Amino acid sequence: MPLLQIEDLEVFYGDFRALHGLGLAVEEGQTVSIIGANGAGKSTLLKAITGLERQKKGVIRYAGADITTMRADLIARAGMTMVPEGRRLFATLSVEDNLRMGGAMGRKGPWTLPAIYALFPALQELRDVNAARLSGGQQQMVSIGRALMTNPRLLLCDEISLGLAPKIIQDIYRCFEAVKQSGVSVVLIEQNVTLACAAASYVYCLLEGRVSLAGDPRSLSMNEISAAYFGTEAHP
Amino acid sequence: MIWIETIANGIFLGGLYALIGLGLGFTFGVMKIVNIAQGDFIVAAAFIGLALAPWTPGAALLVVIPVAIIAFLIGLALQSLLINRVLGKDQIPQILLTFGIAIILRNGMVEWFGANSRSIPTGSLRFASFSVGGLRFGVLPALVLVIALCLFAALHWWLRHSRMGRTIVATADDYEVVQLLGVNYRRVYNIATGIALALSAIAGVLLGMRGSFTPYSGVDRLLIAFEVVIIGGIGSFWGMFAGGLILGVTQIVGLKFDPTAGLMYGHIVFFLILIFAPMGIAGLLRR
Ligand SMILES: Nc1ncnc2c1ncn2[C@@H]1O[C@H](COP(=O)(O)OP(=O)(O)O)[C@@H](O)[C@H]1O
Ligand SMILES: [Mg+2]
Repeated sequence: MPLLQIEDLEVFYGDFRALHGLGLAVEEGQTVSIIGANGAGKSTLLKAITGLERQKKGVIRYAGADITTMRADLIARAGMTMVPEGRRLFATLSVEDNLRMGGAMGRKGPWTLPAIYALFPALQELRDVNAARLSGGQQQMVSIGRALMTNPRLLLCDEISLGLAPKIIQDIYRCFEAVKQSGVSVVLIEQNVTLACAAASYVYCLLEGRVSLAGDPRSLSMNEISAAYFGTEAHP
Repeated sequence: MIWIETIANGIFLGGLYALIGLGLGFTFGVMKIVNIAQGDFIVAAAFIGLALAPWTPGAALLVVIPVAIIAFLIGLALQSLLINRVLGKDQIPQILLTFGIAIILRNGMVEWFGANSRSIPTGSLRFASFSVGGLRFGVLPALVLVIALCLFAALHWWLRHSRMGRTIVATADDYEVVQLLGVNYRRVYNIATGIALALSAIAGVLLGMRGSFTPYSGVDRLLIAFEVVIIGGIGSFWGMFAGGLILGVTQIVGLKFDPTAGLMYGHIVFFLILIFAPMGIAGLLRR
């Protein structure tokens, strides 16, 4: 049975339906990417899975349990967390206190403060600095570190490359090797198709709230992907 | 010399005003909620203090401890049973709710205690005084300032250095993200309202010892609280303390010039600050 399984998911903002009967699955230990243009519904999907978005229909199963209507904090306690879009650090707290907040619920596992500093050595010197003063790349490291500190079984990442320089993106993506090694399953949301395909063993493409393409990235052609991404006809 | 005494008395009173503002400012800072009933809770706490005062003979100030504990529990109940139900993007339900609670509290107090003016007895402390460099000051007003200062410092320290304090600060920053880390933000809100009401209750009891109160005093208290928070700059801890001092000093100095002025000069300063520095003292310093 997959670690995460979603069937017929619909999510609403008032009367507006952002997701239309979406389905996907993530196996334990797998890294899955979800790509799609701006407004396709990627963030909505993650907010629905983590319980932050509560106006929804369908079934979300995680680790064998139906979590469709479960409260967000209890879902997090069950081992699923997210690196939210735009990083969203606690702006009045220091780097280390941001990381500590991740460890606050006390889930056991390999991710501790020293482990995070080993993963992102740049953060060690910045530990007492106010999180709002960091550069974008440093903030993204703290946001990923904070999520890892919860010792998740499933980690969802929403556009962690957004607005960062290519060199920094490389540095940050390198951390996923260690994350995968520690046994964490990962879902990556990306607009950057190349990054998404390189990092994952399975990729879903979202278009206007529906899955427009799914498969192993090595078996998909760039042509197919771009047609599914932009909603145009694939041309031979 | 008389001016030094006057200003010192203004500072003593200002410490208490800061404490009155702290509950409101804390509630708004953490939950973005304006508790309209805060003023009436302050008065209710004074009545509870009045009822419990006979239990602490000889050490009148100790009565703030049981009153603060009772207020904390009331805060937990208020937030978990009522306010948490109306949270959302729309602020109006929460304002209406606390407005309704304020009216119920006020009329309940008139019903139970009558409309007479009361004061919490403090025994010999009431008229005790000390002198510094030939100037005489009341012991009680000075003690009240010290208590207010200690409470500000203690809350500030606790928010930064304790686990629960950090969780409250993080929840204030982003109540959605804390949920991704396993925090039940409603529970955090319950505790925050408990703390806010406990602080307000201490302010209420001290105010009831320094002066008098009736069931209708809540409106004045709420106004002072708003002015302190806005003069200080919303969200600024020590700005709020400075806001209280400014209000206290203005009021006492104003009364010296014009004994019938009441709170008028305080309101004028508040107005000027609202016009010329709408972000308050903290906003001025940040520039
Ligand atoms: N809070 C909201 N209220 C109303 N509509 C929203 C809200 N958030 C997102 N939407 C709409 O839902 C759709 C999907 O948005 P989103 O999930 O943010 O897309 P993506 O993350 O793929 O860019 C968009 O049409 C967007 O305008
Ligand atoms: Mg998005």
